[in-house]
Amino acid sequence: MAVCIAVIAKENYPLYIRSVPTQNELKFHYTVHTSLDVVEEKISAVGKAMADQRELYLGLLYPTEDYKVYGYVTNSKVKFVIVVDSSNTSLRDNEIRSMFRKLHNSFTDVMCNPFYNPGDTIQSKAFDGMVSAMMVQAS
Amino acid sequence: MAQCVQSVHEFIQDSFVPMVAVLCSEDAEKVTRKNNLNFSELLRPFCRLTSEGHMRDPNNQVQVVKNLRISVNNVVTRPSVPASGTPSLAQRLLLSEVVSTCQPAEGGVANVITAGDYDLNISATTPWFEAYRETFLQSMPAADHEFLNHYLACLLVVSSSEAVPVEKFLKLSQEQHRIQHSGEYTNPKWFIPNTLKYYVLLHDMSQGDEHRADSVYEDMKQRYGAQGCYLLKVNSRTAAAGADEQIPDPWSQYLHKSSLQNGSLVNSLDSTHPLQLDTSGDTPGSLDALRAVAVETKAGTAAAAAASHGACLTLNDHDRIRQFIQEFTFRGLLPHIEKNIRQLNDQLVSRKGLSRSLFSATKKWFGGGKVPEKSIAELKNTSGLLYPPEAPELQIRKMADLCFLVQHYELAYSCYHTAKKDFLSDQAMLYAAGALEMAAVSAFLQGGAPRPYPAHYMDTAIQTYRDVCKNMHLAERCALLSAEILKSQAKFSDAATLLIKMTSEVSGDCDLRSALLLEQAAHCFINMRNPMVRKFAFHMILAGHRFSKAGQKRHALRCYCQAMQVYKGKGWSLAEDHINFTIGRQSFTLRQPENAVSAFRHILTNESQQASSQQAAFLREYLYVYKNVTGVCDVALPQLPLPYINSSATRVYFGHERRLAEGEKQAATHVSLDQEFDRDLAAMWRDLEEQVVASANRGVVPATFQATQCCLNSQTDNLRFPLAVVEEPIIVEVVFRNPLKVPLVLSDVSLLWKFTLKDFSRPQDAAVGDALAFSNEKETLARLKLLPHQTGQLNILGLVYNLASTPSTGGTTVSSSAALKSDGPSPADGTSVRGRQDLEIQGPRLNQTKEEKTSVSHGPDRRLDPTITPPMPLLEVFFLQFPTALLCGEIRKAYVEFCNVSGVPLCGLRVVSTHPDFFTFGSSSLATPLTPLSPTSFENCSAYKTLATPPGATPGSVAAVTLVSAGDFGLGEGGSGTSNGVAEIPLEDRVLKPGQSTQLPLWLRGPDHEGVHEINFLFYYESAVKGGKISHRVLRHTVFICASRSLCVRATACRSNTLPEEEAEEEDERRNGSMLVFVDVENINTNEAGVREFHIAQVSSSSKQWRLHRCINPAEDKDCKLNSRERGKLCFRATRCKPVQGTIMTSIEKYIFADLSLGNEQIISSTTPCADFFFRRCPPSDSRRPPVAVETQGRLSRSQGAGPGGGAEDLTSLVRKCNEVDLDIIVLWKAFVVEDNKQVILEGQLHVALQTIGKEACSLTQKEEAQEMVLLKFKPELPPPMTRPSMEQLSHLIKTNLHYPESYRHPFIHKSLCLVPVTLTLSNCSLAQVDVIIDLRHKTTSPESLEVHGSFTWLGQTQYKLQLRAQEVMRVPLRACFLHAGVYNLGTPRVFAKLADQGAMCETSQQTATPALIIIINDT
Repeated sequence: MAVCIAVIAKENYPLYIRSVPTQNELKFHYTVHTSLDVVEEKISAVGKAMADQRELYLGLLYPTEDYKVYGYVTNSKVKFVIVVDSSNTSLRDNEIRSMFRKLHNSFTDVMCNPFYNPGDTIQSKAFDGMVSAMMVQAS
Repeated sequence: MAQCVQSVHEFIQDSFVPMVAVLCSEDAEKVTRKNNLNFSELLRPFCRLTSEGHMRDPNNQVQVVKNLRISVNNVVTRPSVPASGTPSLAQRLLLSEVVSTCQPAEGGVANVITAGDYDLNISATTPWFEAYRETFLQSMPAADHEFLNHYLACLLVVSSSEAVPVEKFLKLSQEQHRIQHSGEYTNPKWFIPNTLKYYVLLHDMSQGDEHRADSVYEDMKQRYGAQGCYLLKVNSRTAAAGADEQIPDPWSQYLHKSSLQNGSLVNSLDSTHPLQLDTSGDTPGSLDALRAVAVETKAGTAAAAAASHGACLTLNDHDRIRQFIQEFTFRGLLPHIEKNIRQLNDQLVSRKGLSRSLFSATKKWFGGGKVPEKSIAELKNTSGLLYPPEAPELQIRKMADLCFLVQHYELAYSCYHTAKKDFLSDQAMLYAAGALEMAAVSAFLQGGAPRPYPAHYMDTAIQTYRDVCKNMHLAERCALLSAEILKSQAKFSDAATLLIKMTSEVSGDCDLRSALLLEQAAHCFINMRNPMVRKFAFHMILAGHRFSKAGQKRHALRCYCQAMQVYKGKGWSLAEDHINFTIGRQSFTLRQPENAVSAFRHILTNESQQASSQQAAFLREYLYVYKNVTGVCDVALPQLPLPYINSSATRVYFGHERRLAEGEKQAATHVSLDQEFDRDLAAMWRDLEEQVVASANRGVVPATFQATQCCLNSQTDNLRFPLAVVEEPIIVEVVFRNPLKVPLVLSDVSLLWKFTLKDFSRPQDAAVGDALAFSNEKETLARLKLLPHQTGQLNILGLVYNLASTPSTGGTTVSSSAALKSDGPSPADGTSVRGRQDLEIQGPRLNQTKEEKTSVSHGPDRRLDPTITPPMPLLEVFFLQFPTALLCGEIRKAYVEFCNVSGVPLCGLRVVSTHPDFFTFGSSSLATPLTPLSPTSFENCSAYKTLATPPGATPGSVAAVTLVSAGDFGLGEGGSGTSNGVAEIPLEDRVLKPGQSTQLPLWLRGPDHEGVHEINFLFYYESAVKGGKISHRVLRHTVFICASRSLCVRATACRSNTLPEEEAEEEDERRNGSMLVFVDVENINTNEAGVREFHIAQVSSSSKQWRLHRCINPAEDKDCKLNSRERGKLCFRATRCKPVQGTIMTSIEKYIFADLSLGNEQIISSTTPCADFFFRRCPPSDSRRPPVAVETQGRLSRSQGAGPGGGAEDLTSLVRKCNEVDLDIIVLWKAFVVEDNKQVILEGQLHVALQTIGKEACSLTQKEEAQEMVLLKFKPELPPPMTRPSMEQLSHLIKTNLHYPESYRHPFIHKSLCLVPVTLTLSNCSLAQVDVIIDLRHKTTSPESLEVHGSFTWLGQTQYKLQLRAQEVMRVPLRACFLHAGVYNLGTPRVFAKLADQGAMCETSQQTATPALIIIINDT
């Protein structure tokens, strides 16, 4: 399904980033980092007053030649980015949405862990497993 | 897109200017050559018109032409660039040359853009891009579908020195005609068939005849009209005259570029046919040739540039040229254009009426079948569709171009618009795209903007150019224009998209263009209203990548550096590492090794997430680059980033490394670097040192006292400069940590230090030791030794070492790293570089004052700044025959060797220990001849001093008595003397000379408790030479002794009720009474195999008042052997001795030692070591009392002052005293132990202190209950209720004793009453006066009296009141009267006693004696 899944902190540094191991990891880092500009643009596009009712799912951030980048921002401004292969046409907006929802739930679990220090990179095995499940389906 | 120097209008205007060709006669060329210029070059700086021109449009409206520029070029008949879509190799070379020569100015002004939390330093302008664009546009080949860069006019230049100038003019004119019309040349292209010819007569002022020139000019005017010719006078300055004159050189800025352009173009033309270039361009041969040529031209250009231009021109001449251009433009060119526009307009208008509609009509009718044939597949070929040059469709385009060139944009737009429709209807896509492009541009350039800029025109044009026509060249031009226009309209996002679209294809040959466009796109992103910093950075990286592919290393580096600003320190380590790596690479190839090193260092020092193979590659690159840097400049050793040094973990050790064992000898452990620092231990040693220093300074610790610290670490007190002794090494332990996953090899590690001389002036020389450390992903230690040879101040600054990586082993590692090394030189494996790292230790955080608490400040740490002091004595201590395991109480003799290894005598040797009862050096004052001095002759000799008992004497019969004062055993200074375990070591003359060593015996006694004991010794010594910086030195020693159980001795003392029977007993002794001492000895040794049996060799007593008198065991029991788990009992009688206070030594009480030997030799217990251990182990009984009790009592007495119970303390102590014994029993034993099939006799002694009568004392003191949990108490404890002497205690005041015959015969028949005399002896045990009441009345209720059959009566006084003085013995004669024969208990008298001066107290019944039975026998 996804080829790269990333969780970015409010301050825009990566909390978690994982890509399909066979591909160029560096490229995904760049892609995700660059997508943050679009995320910020989309967030700021929504008015301040509307910020509370803002939908978390941002939709397609931008398409590149090979990939589609989708974004999702939690209320605490933690960003989720999912990169999907452009050739994968089976993925509809709804599937992406549900992937983000799953990601968000799992992330919430990580945050609820009293031993997790907010702001640290995520090293939860459960989270890892969930992410791999989302990536594995692609292959 | 970055800011440009030109405004967008200027830029577009300058992109499309009227082109003027030049045809020059050879003579005229010669004239201009004097100035190092050709004619077109001569004109070039003056081609921009400063004044406004006017022209009329077809509707007779006056149109102002402002700021017009014309382009003057020599006629070049061969096509410079093939009209195909891709730029030629020559053009590419030119462009790349232009870009690479244009670099950002060093230290140029940079914009600081703040976006979110990013502050970016970006150069606002990109001159290389503008240069590229300008060159690109200028080198655009003339195309057939547009006329903008077709020549409008031709300047025919003839020199006035020509023989017949008019003829020459004719010739040139003919040549021009030939070029344009013969069809031989496709190039250059001409705008209109009748090109404007402008005749210029060039006159050289320095040479020619001015009049002749004037006359020729007049002739020309006649022939060509005043508007068609011009006389240009130049070279009015002679070369010689103008040497000192400063003339501005306006050519330099133009010629640099143009010569380059011309040169490379010409050369490329010369080398091969241009059409072949594209096909053969990839063969290396031609490439090389081209390159060589390019280099040549460059050299040529440089040479030409060196010579100044316009050397023969005065400022007047400049004005003349300017005048000429103006004249030419306004009189010649503009009218010509005006005329042509009018003509074309007329043609079009005339055609519009019929032909235009006719055209379309005919097309519909006749060519109707043509349109549907043009399917999409065919559409692509329409780019090849060519109108003939005079085709009517082109006329309108021609007119539009003309209008455009003279800035009549409104008309131009409408013409382009019309043309576009025509072309589109013809499906002539190339033409249509051109028209669209220009329509958009002219719409944009229209003043007042009547219509919005049609951006979609541009998009369509670009798309058409690119996709349909496959002409990237035109597409690029279009994109450049469009992007610039969009930028001017602040549509940065669109501009960026446009630019990126142009770069999207990955064809190898357009790297430079892609790079430049990507960079511009990046600038667009950053210039947006909400700057998109990350997009900027990403595109910068892409641009950098393309730049580097295009060979523009400098630009690539710049791009990466700018992108770095965004990625730096934001947690995107993978990207950051990649950028740093690339920067390092590029910097290195650009010979900026310092930057390269810092970039590489960054990769390595950041906690890298990279795989180990990647890290290894980084490391190798780094080392290689680093090596090159250091090879260049070796002024100061640079800092190395790896490995990390944990500087706070640095430890410094002062002194030699110690050998722990040397043959038999066992050296003092002292302190070593291998030991972990333990805070508790350090405190313990500090306490010990304080004790010993206090004792050395007569009980006072000097204010300047500082505990000696031999090993400094992060937890020790490092506020002061540590003191090191000259000629004694300083060992520094440095902790390295390798953050990488690959191993690092350090070699030739040495310390860097600074030395400041002080006091002395001997030649200074300090050796630096070195070590080799190998670390891999974890901490490693290195120890470095420094040996100071001189006194002064030493500062250890850092480390110098060689760093190398290990050759990688895995094949995968090699391949992956090789993949990375695309262009960089691959460093040899295992390269090592030399560098340094400073050791900077931050002191502890200060937290004392408020200021320090609120701020973060750190104290100094002077660990690495030792002061080197003059030589001090250095003591080495060795132990010989030092056991590791002992039985509890075992006495062992060992030897200790003191050795002064320094060159300075030492004195004041003392030792202090945590277990002072463990060892003794013997008492020096007794001057006893010591047992064998050398340890070799010591074998199997008893540690004790013995005397053989006289053979006849029964063992244990009578005790030998010795009097000894405690002071003899070094414990004279009152009770406190023993509590600190300081002992002076009896050196022979109190000084140990340099190099001297001495051996002393040492007795050890096994600790009383089993288990492993850690025993710490601290040897203290001073220099014999006083006044040094170091007052004393210490040596530590720690031993571990394993003690195993031996015997358990319990002893009880009982008051003996019998009075001594023997008449020989002295009166006072009898008065003082005696005591029975029962000693219970149990073998509790668990090692049944090893220890066979224990013998009780001797029992000795030691007390101030008592002594053991004799053994009263049954005779057969006297030889006391105890096998495993056996228990034996010994009974002794003890007697009170003469009080010894009366002797000469009033202050010091003497101890009486009494030895009762049970074997055949007497051990003299009053000598070393037995007495030593006795005194060491057993402090006087006063101090042994629970201190709490004393304290509470003291408090009570203080608080109650003179209250009613004020005498309670007195009373209690008095009462207690009468029960005290204060007798110490020393049990000396021998153990027979089998060791290695050999029987060994071990000896030992155990001490039991009897304190109270009736209370059992044990040699094994009960282990104190470990106070695991102490309840926190917040209220002060209630004082315990006032203690009165208990009834129990009070009942022991008086000892009673009845004396009577055991049996009494009485003839009851004769006398019915039997009277028996009984003596009641009362002895006062206390030291106070006691009132005693004796009551003889029977108490019927007493159960004891009932038991006895029958009764008797005391006769006489039934109640006595007596007063007994302290320890007085009184006898009261009584008489008992019996009526019958029988057995009677005489013990009925009840004795009450009370202390005499305690009026308020009741008398207490005294403990009754045991039943005193008397047998009355009827004597018949």
